[in-house]
Amino acid sequence: MSKIEHDRSHHAEKATGIGDPQCFHGEAGPAKFKVGDRVRIKNLPDLFYTRCQVYTRGAIGMVTEAVYESPAAEDEAWDNTESPEWFYSVVFRQQELWPDYPDLYANDTVETEFSERWLEAV
Amino acid sequence: MSQSTREQVMRHLEAVGYLQPALHKPQQAPYPDEIDHSLYRAYTRSAHDVGGEPDTPMTWEEKEEEQWELNTFATCECLAWRGVWNAEERRRRQNVDLGQTQYLGLPYYGRWLLTAARILVDKQHVTLTELVSKIDEVKSRYEQN
Repeated sequence: MSKIEHDRSHHAEKATGIGDPQCFHGEAGPAKFKVGDRVRIKNLPDLFYTRCQVYTRGAIGMVTEAVYESPAAEDEAWDNTESPEWFYSVVFRQQELWPDYPDLYANDTVETEFSERWLEAV
Repeated sequence: MSQSTREQVMRHLEAVGYLQPALHKPQQAPYPDEIDHSLYRAYTRSAHDVGGEPDTPMTWEEKEEEQWELNTFATCECLAWRGVWNAEERRRRQNVDLGQTQYLGLPYYGRWLLTAARILVDKQHVTLTELVSKIDEVKSRYEQN
């Protein structure tokens, strides 16, 4: 019987004693965005798998932190771990995300993470 | 055996009748021109991306993990440790690949367990024949006791 090799042990070995995503530290190159940058979430196709919430697509937020380097979820979900990216924490005004959000709570925000591919400078 | 199997089949057909796609249509498997881009995106979305969907409030309840749930968690971690999958691959399989009906319909650790069995078959660590035979064997043993 022919069998395809699906050995993922390299991932466990790489992370042993270091942790994940710490084991990808230094592999993503220079970060494209910095704290305070205004960014728009791209509306890339979300076929098969993504961790980029659809409710953020096209919305504008502000980078609060470059949090870590890791393969993007869309890559790592098939064990493509050769091209780690920077991940960013981005804060949005709730009113930017939800059309009916009441003016009384205009200061409400929500913060969530994105890999670099999902962000474009505004 | 035969009679109770037939009853089981009839109960099964009744149960799957409740699992039709949420968008009810008189005819399934539509012609291509019946699917516009919005519908296409809705059908092919990742089932776990539920943020912003209308829903009713849920009651929050404290629930301790059951023994089989803890065992399932440990099994899945061992599968990662032994190189069968990584965590993101596990999430893809248990949250998205199984489809919206199972994602919403099964208990949380039920999806973990089902996915652990699935990955072993998908990556040829066990054959489906071996898995089904084992389930059948355990089931018979359980029913005798």
